[in-house]
Amino acid sequence: MTDISRRIFVRRGSLALVALGLPPAFLARSAEAEFRAAIAKKKTLICIFQRGAVDGLNMVVPFGEKAYYSRRRSIAVPAPGGGRNGAVDLNGFFGFHPSLGPLHDLYARKELAVVHAVGSPHPTRSHFDAQDFMETATPGNKSTRDGWLNRVLAHTPCECAGRTLEDARAHAADHAAGQVALASTSPSLRGVAMGSALPIALRGGHPALAIDDLARFGVAGGRDASLESAFERQYRSGGDLVSSAADEAFEAIRILKAANPLQYSPAAGVQYPAGPFGRSLRQIAQLIKSDIGVEIAFADIGGWDTHQAQGGAEGQLARRLDELARGVRALYDDLGDRMNDVVILTMSEFGRTVAENGSGGTDHGHANCMLVMGGAVAGGRVLGEWPGLEREQLYEGRDLALTTDFRDIFAEIATGHLGAGELERVFPSYAIDRARFRGVLG
Amino acid sequence: MRSGATERKRGGGWRGAAGYGVWLLVLGTVSPVAAAQARRSGGDSLEAVHLLRRATFGIRSGDVGAVLSQGRVAWLERQLNPERIADSAMVLRLSAFPLAGASASELIRDFNPPPAQPGDTMMTAEQRRQRQQQNPQRILADLVGAKLVRSVWTERQLEEVMTDFWYNHFNVVFNKGLDRFFVSDYERGAIRPHVFGKFETMVRATAQHPAMLFYLDNWTSSVPDSMNEALMARRRVQPGAAAPRGARGINENYARELMELHTLGVDGGYTQQDVIEVARALTGWTFTRPGQRGARRAAQAGRASEGEEVRFVFNPVMHDRGEKVVLGRRLAAGRGIEDGLDVIHLLATHPSTARHIATKLIERFVTDGADPEFVAELAAVFTRTEGDLREVTRALFTSRRFYASANVGTKIKTPFELVASAMRATSSEIGPSRPLLETLRGLGQLPYTESAPTGFPAASEEWVNSGAMLARMNFGLNLASGRIQGIRPAPAASRAQDRPADALAEMLGRLMPGMETTALSQSILADLTASQADSPPRARAARALGLALGSPEFQRK
Repeated sequence: MTDISRRIFVRRGSLALVALGLPPAFLARSAEAEFRAAIAKKKTLICIFQRGAVDGLNMVVPFGEKAYYSRRRSIAVPAPGGGRNGAVDLNGFFGFHPSLGPLHDLYARKELAVVHAVGSPHPTRSHFDAQDFMETATPGNKSTRDGWLNRVLAHTPCECAGRTLEDARAHAADHAAGQVALASTSPSLRGVAMGSALPIALRGGHPALAIDDLARFGVAGGRDASLESAFERQYRSGGDLVSSAADEAFEAIRILKAANPLQYSPAAGVQYPAGPFGRSLRQIAQLIKSDIGVEIAFADIGGWDTHQAQGGAEGQLARRLDELARGVRALYDDLGDRMNDVVILTMSEFGRTVAENGSGGTDHGHANCMLVMGGAVAGGRVLGEWPGLEREQLYEGRDLALTTDFRDIFAEIATGHLGAGELERVFPSYAIDRARFRGVLG
Repeated sequence: MRSGATERKRGGGWRGAAGYGVWLLVLGTVSPVAAAQARRSGGDSLEAVHLLRRATFGIRSGDVGAVLSQGRVAWLERQLNPERIADSAMVLRLSAFPLAGASASELIRDFNPPPAQPGDTMMTAEQRRQRQQQNPQRILADLVGAKLVRSVWTERQLEEVMTDFWYNHFNVVFNKGLDRFFVSDYERGAIRPHVFGKFETMVRATAQHPAMLFYLDNWTSSVPDSMNEALMARRRVQPGAAAPRGARGINENYARELMELHTLGVDGGYTQQDVIEVARALTGWTFTRPGQRGARRAAQAGRASEGEEVRFVFNPVMHDRGEKVVLGRRLAAGRGIEDGLDVIHLLATHPSTARHIATKLIERFVTDGADPEFVAELAAVFTRTEGDLREVTRALFTSRRFYASANVGTKIKTPFELVASAMRATSSEIGPSRPLLETLRGLGQLPYTESAPTGFPAASEEWVNSGAMLARMNFGLNLASGRIQGIRPAPAASRAQDRPADALAEMLGRLMPGMETTALSQSILADLTASQADSPPRARAARALGLALGSPEFQRK
């Protein structure tokens, strides 16, 4: 049996297999198993965007810096040893905000790395512009229409035999028409965002889906199979863009239904925090565990724009960090062994001022911190170059200075973990230099 | 009038004399003159449908008849002179969205919540409610609601369609800072009044509007000298006329987009040096800042600030008075606002601009593919009339090229167009509706929220992907069954079911005149027969309507 015949699946029947003179059912089953195995080994990246510019200096606290305490008289987090309100020591200089406690043993197990003083070189302090710049990975360019994650998908090989992805749309149409070898997944399911609209990061030529509620994904909330087939009949064999896109949608619906969303239970002992963030992460875990080929998942969490009454070890920011940590930890535990093939990455559009302001909060700043988690992560370290918090070391005299461009972290993960190629097209107008990678993946 | 049934069996559709039979069905209550006209040439009807599909937000019952009875030319002429068209029904419906009519200073006053105090960790229910009231997102909800009301209910359809086009061309995003308070006035004052006026006037209006000045950062663009106190003293400047905090030199953002997107086009023949020179010419183009200390304190104390309208101002302290050379044209040193006005004139009358505007119009209204001959034809009108947009729009919709068969029915509606056309077809009443906003957001086209200065794309393929198709089908179903909170479609006609096939064909003919709907009709009928035999007529009708609104045919225009 040649490679190709071994991997052929047919979407709607076994005609092709029969034509090759092969017994369809047996082959379908074994090839199916092989397909599932291939998919299960596929790598996944989960991006969590903290919208609103999280205060990185209170998230991963530089308790070794005197200036941190002199500039934050009321909101600084005490150094480790300061009772239960003290930072959780990471390496003698940095510590987690106490609310991030649930993530500490991931750090101790070397499965969590922190990158500090990382972010965008662009001076904008507009949330709006900066989020766009980070999601398109083209700081300063307001006209980029597609997102970096979409471009990663377009430049990461799809699990089907020998087909380049130069034209992602044509590729998707091939899938829809059953023209490619591996048809048991849908290209639309390679990249998934939790929510009702696709974030800019996932927008672009490669198909991607926004899913609000897995259990109700489909026509009329998935409650009426006859409606679904009525529409399918309408769109079938239209032979054009609209029909192949609709075809893709129905295929994705079918695959998702087969993943049996109503029956899902997280792993024993795992409890996601209540609220939309917890729900998003739980659905991501569910999708990954269904082996339907999700390679990129995206969720966001807001409430980080703490201009007033931010609090220190306790208070507003502490509560947000608590939800973040409990959610991420639940996700980590729910995925269990699969975390060997998964990387979770947090990000935020910029950081916040070193000094607290007159309202017990912080204003828009510059560099920030990111958390990277997973079995493949070279964890147990705080990566990057710490520029210091003395006035002359600050950006514009007020903010944490940047020593790592966020694109270097994105690129290292895109290529090292997901296997993306042609990085100059994934990160246009930016020269990727592996020498600048921080070694998040060792 | 002959029953449509026999005619249909001969295979109605886009082309063929048999098509006119479908028209008889569709034209229902039209005058005998119109009916005679229709009999004479089914082609006329096809062209009327095509014109309506592109020049309005969707066909309603009776629209085709109206165009035929007035004649296409007369109908278009009337639309090109909207002040002649009474519109009270639409205006009445706007009252559900009062914030869309508010001025910038009113919005700033009412939607700037006071900062919380340290130690203020919990809010009372009353404080929470007050905060909600002051959430600027309420402004966006009213803006979108008002836009929907206009698009669905105005008789001045072409004016509204062109307002949509030109707003997109001179795009400003809602969510960026002060723009949340400026966008409403921007559309009302800088766009709509000029859609059938002179292009140069619209460029100037947008260039001088606080919304654009803020969005593309020109409001802080200033000659570096303006920070120099001695220089200011020498110029004997009034106190308070200082450059805004944050002005730190020339900002090229607006200058670049003015040339690349608004006038010449990316290949229009300008250089980076031109960008710098244009930016220099536009220094000092800013607006009275609502953040000025006195105004804010007054607003917070609940005192109306007299004369604190947000408006364009030319700040000479910020202006670079040196000599400039733009596209080879020398602008003498020592001048003020004239530098910017001259640049705008130069750009608006440049031949590349005529071509660029023609290209964009054709991309939006005619075809996704290129049509260089049509571009040349339209650009010539633009140049000959010195950018008279009434003339250009007339030329666009009367050209034989517009009616070429390759251009008929070959574009896909954008999400907003789908929603508007569905609501027009169902005479939907529009009230505040969070779910509808979420639907538009989910489809990627919530009005006023496109962050890139390029605006929403016009090409059909940009809007078609698996998630979007699913969302379109669901929208159709939800609208038809009246399940979108705040939106009330007219009840789907559910007549006696003795001839269900006929009723269905009639409904499809009304919804999509001129389209080949035989296959769709059969498909829907099959579904109704198979799954809805025991449903009440109302539910069957709603289901059929939902399947129609979500159909591939209804996605086309």
